[in-house]
Amino acid sequence: MIDAQLASFLQEGLGLQVGTRDAALRPSGGRAVALTVDPDGRHIVVYIPEVAIGRLLPDLESNGHAAVSIGRPMDDRACQIKGTVVDIRQAEDHERAVITTQFTSYLGQLEMIGIPRAVASCWTNWPARAVRLKVTAIFEQSPGPSAGHPIA
Amino acid sequence: MMVPLASLATCFQGLRPAQLYTCSSDGIPNAAYLSHVEYVDAEHVALSFQFFNKSRRNIAENPHALVNMVDPDTGQGWSLRLEYVRSETTGPLFERMALRIETIASYCNLKGVFKLRASDIYRVVDVARIPEESGSPTAGVSQMTTTLDPVFTMKALHDLSARINRADSLETLVDSILAGIEESFGFTQSMILLPTEQEGVLVTIASRGYPEKGVGAEQRYGEGMAGAVAESRAPIRISGLMRGMLYAMAMYKASLNPDPQRDARRVPVPGLANPDSQLGVPLIVRGELVGVLVIESETPYRFHEEDKANIELLGSYLAIAIQNMQWQERSAASAPDTLAPAPVDVAVPLAQAVGQARAAVSHQVTYYASDECILLDGDYLIRGLPAKILWRLLNIRDKTGRDEFTNRELRLDKSLNLPEWKDNLESRLLLLRRRLDEKCPEIRLAPRSRGRFALEVQCLLTLNEQL
Repeated sequence: MIDAQLASFLQEGLGLQVGTRDAALRPSGGRAVALTVDPDGRHIVVYIPEVAIGRLLPDLESNGHAAVSIGRPMDDRACQIKGTVVDIRQAEDHERAVITTQFTSYLGQLEMIGIPRAVASCWTNWPARAVRLKVTAIFEQSPGPSAGHPIA
Repeated sequence: MMVPLASLATCFQGLRPAQLYTCSSDGIPNAAYLSHVEYVDAEHVALSFQFFNKSRRNIAENPHALVNMVDPDTGQGWSLRLEYVRSETTGPLFERMALRIETIASYCNLKGVFKLRASDIYRVVDVARIPEESGSPTAGVSQMTTTLDPVFTMKALHDLSARINRADSLETLVDSILAGIEESFGFTQSMILLPTEQEGVLVTIASRGYPEKGVGAEQRYGEGMAGAVAESRAPIRISGLMRGMLYAMAMYKASLNPDPQRDARRVPVPGLANPDSQLGVPLIVRGELVGVLVIESETPYRFHEEDKANIELLGSYLAIAIQNMQWQERSAASAPDTLAPAPVDVAVPLAQAVGQARAAVSHQVTYYASDECILLDGDYLIRGLPAKILWRLLNIRDKTGRDEFTNRELRLDKSLNLPEWKDNLESRLLLLRRRLDEKCPEIRLAPRSRGRFALEVQCLLTLNEQL
């Protein structure tokens, strides 16, 4: 269950990584560009650029397992959400503003740690797929010995 | 054909956190951030193992992993498909990775709080471009710096060498080195530290490009960049130092058993307040550490592979130049024509000399014998052997009116207790002179000739000694 405080953190525009795996348990992973939390706090939607989805889609469709790592570059606060796929669809035009806002915020975070915006200027964030996940677990992932402890 | 790992050298600088993907034996994927990926050889990389986290447990069950990282020059993302091979807890690779962690930790005053448990070595099965992180050859941070071509670099080394050869004293040599590094290579912030008579302590003898010269600033072996270089006697380059420090601070905050007595504030780093790139090179001649050269920048990825190679190469040459100059100065200072102290006109009373000075200025000099430390008007001035020398000179001048001295008489002065071999007296006098120039310009050590100098006092002095 994601409470309002955690939801606020997750949606502020952070580094987002989506991990999957194939039938042979070989992991795959790619960058997501935005994340929204459903009002019920039990589901999230992760937006993955269309150019990245090709690597992840076979895994997501075949076994449905996903891990989403969310990190704030400035202080390395991070958590990880485990989930299973509920549905995958094309992101719609009205969702583009959310993606742009969160992705821009993320680039600002990178700038704060000394990575010029120009480095990420060619990164693709649109068009995107919206992957809705049912949240099965949430773990602390800030660096240190407490990483891996359940937080919700 | 797989993209050669060596061609991704810039990705291994840790400028932007990499991502590590693993999977448990029951099929649950895991995604985690990773502070650093280390290049091992054409087929292997190493990941740091600091905590028993989920990624590490997954690897124990299932050796497959994936790492995504970004080239800071172009913004191009690269994906490395990996298979775990083994872990190392000793050896050059482990030492190199551990040193990086310890250096960053020392900047946060967190040395020893966390450390490297092992270097986990993975075979690289495949390398692929990440399409959503497509790069641009004009995007990267290196575009903010000057790209050096090989011909220019050879010319730069030649120019620097000529400049060094013209130096006629240790003082002009160290200044020439730093000026030459700026003019020939474009590195504007740099410093040279030399070992002190105290075991395991370096002192800053020259710096360039900082608002505060910092001459006399000490650094213990193992602390900060210079201290880490001195302790390891190995070159260290850190890119994205600020990112590393943030990561270290995050780890500290997350520690389950923090030491309440430990102050986690950053210790003041001599030089830039927020260095993001640092390159430290030991200056070693025949196994002896002559000094440490530190170059730094606020640009995240300032020192590229060729810069590191050039400065490392330069380090050997600089070490020989500094040691030769120290020997030359010592030898000249002991030459027969400098044996006798200069004639002293004792007929000139001290009061008269002071009368010529800026009498409106007065200072209180306090020497703390037990600490071998001098305070000027209550503020720290200098300590150790330079402090003992200054105190000795001031007392001789006070009692006899003599104000010219030779290096040789200092060497023979039993109260100073200089070692018979490698006393580094000339570098101590240089340090003292510069410290006085910065903190009390009314007291000067003015060179007269090789091995001879004058103590020029342009103020009224009150001398106090405390045990």
